[in-house]
Amino acid sequence: MNDPAQGPELMERQPAGWPSEEIGALYEQHSRAIYYLALRFLADPQKAEDATHDVFLKAFRKLDQFRREASVRTWLYRIAINHCQNLQQSWHNRHVTANSDDLIWEHTASRTDSPLRALETKELGQRIQKTLDRLSDEYRLLLLLVADEELSYEQIAALVGQSTDAVRGKLHRARKTFALLFEQTA
Amino acid sequence: MKNRSKLSQHQQQGEQQSAAENAQQQSREFATAEELLRFEAQQTEVPPQIAERLKQSISALAPPPRRAWWRNLLGR
Repeated sequence: MNDPAQGPELMERQPAGWPSEEIGALYEQHSRAIYYLALRFLADPQKAEDATHDVFLKAFRKLDQFRREASVRTWLYRIAINHCQNLQQSWHNRHVTANSDDLIWEHTASRTDSPLRALETKELGQRIQKTLDRLSDEYRLLLLLVADEELSYEQIAALVGQSTDAVRGKLHRARKTFALLFEQTA
Repeated sequence: MKNRSKLSQHQQQGEQQSAAENAQQQSREFATAEELLRFEAQQTEVPPQIAERLKQSISALAPPPRRAWWRNLLGR
């Protein structure tokens, strides 16, 4: 895992066409990560667009509150996670619980050791979304965060408010559950 | 004729390369969930309209309230 991008490095870049150079630099460097998190967490491209816009607008409004010693990426993720979770709570459109993940895993653990095969790239997104939709919010978020190489386990633990050991343990089970469910989408 | 055969050979090579690429794409494997998600994230393009909306939203934001002139004068 790489060392996360720090604020001062970002501010050296000066993208054109932005009313604020700082937010322009933030957006250019981190929009893909934030959009992808929102896309797969909210399972809706339009909502993901709106969420990404809102997250960076909030970041712009709170730029003066950003502590430079923290990772910009982590700070943006924190805003994005809060935003997406608030949206989800208001929609009430999640019904799968963490217990169901555990149940699936316990009954079929031996089948999850094979690699994940993606036959057609076109269908990959649909299969990933179907799989993530069947995971609990917690597992889904952990997998999306750990997929970002810029985040360390410590940073992920801080973002989800758990210990590093707890995150490692849950990630282990989340990976296994994902593999099983992904196989079922083929 | 020679040119034609060269072209044909070139096309054949292109087709073979394309078939190999397709096969590679079709048989892609990922060891872990995050590897798969990472791959997809790298392929995901951020819709350009988000940046445009954001630029407009930021431009439309009211500037921060200015200090009253008499506060500056009095240092309050």
